[in-house]
Amino acid sequence: MQEVLSVHNLYKSFIGVKALNDISLSISQGEIHCLAGENGSGKSTLIKCVSGVYAPDSGKIVLNGHEYQSLTPAQAIREGVQVIYQDLSLFRHMSVAENIAIEKLRFENRRIVSRNEIRRIAAEQLEKIGVSIDLDQTIGETSLANRQIAAICRALAQDAKILFMDEPTTALTKKEVSRLLNIILELKKKGLAIVFISHKLDEVFSVADKISIFRNGFKIGDFNKDELDEKKLSHYMTGREVEYPRYVRKCKDDRVVLEVDRLTRKGHYENISFKMRPGDIVGLIGLLGSGRTELAMSLFGLNPAHSGQIKIDGKTVKIKSPMTAKKHRIAMLPEDRITQGLFMERMIRENITSSIIDKVAKNKIFTDKKAENDISEQTVEELKIRTPSVETVVGNLSGGNQQKVVIGKWVATHPRVFIMDTPTVGIDIGSKAEIYEQIHKFADQGMAILFISDEIPEILANCNRVMVMRDGRCIRILNEEDLEKPDAEKLISELISTRAEEEREEAVP
Amino acid sequence: MNKIRKLAAGDINFAILIALTLLAIVLSGVFIGDKMFTVANIQAMAYQIPEFGFLCLAMMLSNLIGGIDLSIIAAANTIAIFTANVLNGRWAFGTDGAARIILAICVALLASILFGLFNGLLISRTSAPSLIATLGTMTLYRGIGMALTGGSSVGDIVPGFSYLGKAKLLGIPFIFWIFIIATGLLGLVLSKTTYGRALYLYGGNPVAARFSAINNERMCRSVFLLTGLFAGIAGIIILSRVNSAKVGYGDTYLLQTMIVCVIGGIHPNGGKGTVKGVLVAIIFMQLLSSAFTIMTLSPYTKKLIYGAMLILVLGMNYFINKLIQKYKTR
Amino acid sequence: MKIKIRDRYRAILLIIMVFYSLFVGLINPAFFSIETVFDLIRTSSTSLMVVIGLLLVMISGGIDVSFMAVALFGSYTTIKIMIAAGIDSLAFAFGLSMLIGGFLGLINALLINWLKLPPFIITLGTQSLFHGIMTTFIGDKSFGAGVLPSCLNKFGQAVLFSFQSDNSRVGLTASVVPILIVAAVTWFILYKTMIGRGIVALGNSEEAARRIGFNPSRIRLFVYTYTGLLSGIMGIIYVAQVNALYPNKLVGDELMVVAAAVIGGTKITGGQGKISGAILGVLIIYLLNSTLILIGLSSSWNDLFVGAILVVSIAVSSYQERVKNRKNLIFTE
Repeated sequence: MQEVLSVHNLYKSFIGVKALNDISLSISQGEIHCLAGENGSGKSTLIKCVSGVYAPDSGKIVLNGHEYQSLTPAQAIREGVQVIYQDLSLFRHMSVAENIAIEKLRFENRRIVSRNEIRRIAAEQLEKIGVSIDLDQTIGETSLANRQIAAICRALAQDAKILFMDEPTTALTKKEVSRLLNIILELKKKGLAIVFISHKLDEVFSVADKISIFRNGFKIGDFNKDELDEKKLSHYMTGREVEYPRYVRKCKDDRVVLEVDRLTRKGHYENISFKMRPGDIVGLIGLLGSGRTELAMSLFGLNPAHSGQIKIDGKTVKIKSPMTAKKHRIAMLPEDRITQGLFMERMIRENITSSIIDKVAKNKIFTDKKAENDISEQTVEELKIRTPSVETVVGNLSGGNQQKVVIGKWVATHPRVFIMDTPTVGIDIGSKAEIYEQIHKFADQGMAILFISDEIPEILANCNRVMVMRDGRCIRILNEEDLEKPDAEKLISELISTRAEEEREEAVP
Repeated sequence: MNKIRKLAAGDINFAILIALTLLAIVLSGVFIGDKMFTVANIQAMAYQIPEFGFLCLAMMLSNLIGGIDLSIIAAANTIAIFTANVLNGRWAFGTDGAARIILAICVALLASILFGLFNGLLISRTSAPSLIATLGTMTLYRGIGMALTGGSSVGDIVPGFSYLGKAKLLGIPFIFWIFIIATGLLGLVLSKTTYGRALYLYGGNPVAARFSAINNERMCRSVFLLTGLFAGIAGIIILSRVNSAKVGYGDTYLLQTMIVCVIGGIHPNGGKGTVKGVLVAIIFMQLLSSAFTIMTLSPYTKKLIYGAMLILVLGMNYFINKLIQKYKTR
Repeated sequence: MKIKIRDRYRAILLIIMVFYSLFVGLINPAFFSIETVFDLIRTSSTSLMVVIGLLLVMISGGIDVSFMAVALFGSYTTIKIMIAAGIDSLAFAFGLSMLIGGFLGLINALLINWLKLPPFIITLGTQSLFHGIMTTFIGDKSFGAGVLPSCLNKFGQAVLFSFQSDNSRVGLTASVVPILIVAAVTWFILYKTMIGRGIVALGNSEEAARRIGFNPSRIRLFVYTYTGLLSGIMGIIYVAQVNALYPNKLVGDELMVVAAAVIGGTKITGGQGKISGAILGVLIIYLLNSTLILIGLSSSWNDLFVGAILVVSIAVSSYQERVKNRKNLIFTE
């Protein structure tokens, strides 16, 4: 089979991070290739280099026999490269049909566009997947699942030679996922090369011919499907035996710190109930659209619930803002540390004290530089943040250290409940292990932690209880005994993604 | 070497500003020194700085939080109109003399706070972009002034009031003292207090501020309240010097306050900049303004120069930052 | 049938206009005449011309406050040349003014592309720069009706059709023609051409637009130059209607046009906006300005009413947007 794409000795660095180290890869026509690896391992960066968004520092990219040191997006499209990014890159105020057709028309250098043609192109792609959605709605008014469909259609419209998909199925139902996987197989028959990133191991194994495993910016190896199984895959991806030291709750205080009782927010989640005691690390897992982030935000005051109760130490409280949450000693580590967690242009000490500004003050009014420095240095030491000084600008730190700063910021508020939203995304192995250790220590000291994550091994290692959410409901809470069982991982995996077929029909008009 | 780098990166804007100001002093000294640096002219400058200075402080605050307050001049004028109406007896409730003046000032300050608070509430409650929101309130405040005066000026002020505009304390105009004290206080608050710290964080990244449990709504309201207050004080000062109030006074100030903020090192995206930079920039602009008057430049030529200045300074900042980046990654 | 939110907004605007007009008419029946309509169109014609250009700029995610200075520069220079060279051709007037306007718009675009700073500040600078250059180097004298080329006045007085009413002839100003042409052309560009879709794409997301092959810098060159062209046309229309050339008119009224665009539903954040909305916005402002006097309020109340409507419309549309964002857990401030 002819080679469509090959990269040779590709290197790419950003400030403080070596994203790609000597990557070489080859993909042929009609091949389904999966890039596997944890977040931050380099998969997305590779795609961005091949599609012309980034220019590699060194190395060669060969597309259809043409050599490039780096390319522009237009060149990549001309070579038949199509990418569906995780953020979908859709235009909010344009219609679905237009979003689907615009790239194709732009590429064909059309000057004049006709509405009929746009609709025709869009309808054609939808038929390929066998889905129908409202073409005239603006993307902003469309559901998340339909947006993913539109993004896939847009790429399909271009009759690409090589299609990259970055986690394409995150919000699709099992039916839609299998439909998509079938399309991928169809496209394969037509000679299209497909490269997708997914960490959903069952999907990977059902369609991939070859699997390339990435770790920390390096490519560990290329494997055929039959050379791997789930366990081996995990092992290569993480670089160690999957068994992290499992967390066991040592705290003896069984008084309930946080109780959530039939909490509901229409459209986001409903009837969520659970309890947390000091020393609990409760895992929260669920797909995009399951309501887990919405729930976390509600506990932190950013998305107030409509009904139900939140009780701290048995007393009902209303949490309408992060300030109130902080008052009740609830802390939250946000999902996106760069935009939500950190002040990138400010120093470590300013970040660490950003939630306790009036505490590190003389008479609550004047900033106390000495107290600030003391707390910051203490935090840096405790959390093992690697930095020459607390005056370093946070933007210059590595991902792992940045995350530790955000953790430190909230630890400084002495929270009793700490919600952590995917705390180890994009972080190197070493920092991950350190963060796990720190989290266990916090729990031992009496903190209750709500640990949101997408990676089941991580959840199993760090939580003594796990809440599984799906479609806005909590469908199962697994306790210590459930988690001890050997099939716990499989169980959770199934719980997350099985969805009643009937439930979904309403979303697709 | 590293220390020099840090200094260079952080304070290069300030260094350039000081250099520019010194250059302006030297050049004007050489060419028009006989008229520029007389006691009379220096005093004149000291009288003109406060009203412009307070407007600049207001614009600076709105820039620090990443926004812009277009309504400051309209607010200043309308508040001056309110004050004038009290002072000329129309709204004086029977008071006279010193009591009337005190009432007038109270009315002015109250109105300033209300105007500012209105901006703050509008923006914090609806998340309207400040450019558009203050475009609206600017029209509204101007409209109030127009409705009250029909465009003509309000005069007939109780004579005692203009004394405020002329009075001197230790040889320095009273209003200049007020301006300096206000600037000093603002500088202190911004650099040394928890409020100031929160303001910079909020201005630099409002999303992270929200997630850090900083009260964004309160920050927004308080900052615009302050801009309203400063605008109102500017209005009072204008009234005390010009002795009448009308809609449209100082419309050209808007561009100049923005130039001051840009030159003074305030980044339009927010979170960066200090009072001392703005202060020097204000002095620099005043020197220019005086020089232009002495050279009897037409208002058109002045406009040309101001417009060119803004573009040049923006361009210069861009190049300097590029150089710094190159230097950093060497 | 689903009525989209944006259409609902414009429908509400229209309804408000209708009710307000009825209200005014009840108080002052003279309002209900064809003259009023013709008059409204005539006085708003200059703003209508520029708001269309401004709309494109705002959809692309930018803003321009220098267009009045551009209009002034273009028309003043052109007419001075016409007077000096004795040219009396309307085509020449429009043509040269357009060219000058386009050139100035190009300068705006280059600065914005190059300096990568908020377009508001940059165009605020160029507004003063252009006006200053014009008055310093080209001239700052006024020219009365006597010296102006006669084609201008002829155009300014020209009507498309007229009829006798009371003791005067009233007619629909010929300025409507360039406006309709420009509106149609702009509509075509915005909806039927790739560059138009590129403008919308850019306003939605610069990065996504780049990824599918649009060139943001080139798109900006286009929109700002286009606005400049339209401003040049507007300058001539203005002089034709006023029948005099002043060096200091127009500049200063920019924000009213921006207000009109905003009232008409254009978001400053970019990505959306309709020509009909912008036109409605202008008409509402001019309707208010001209009718307050008919219900007994002097013209000094204009700003207050316009300001109030502006604040309300901004508050409502921003709040709606915020509710939508928060529901999707999008925080921007």
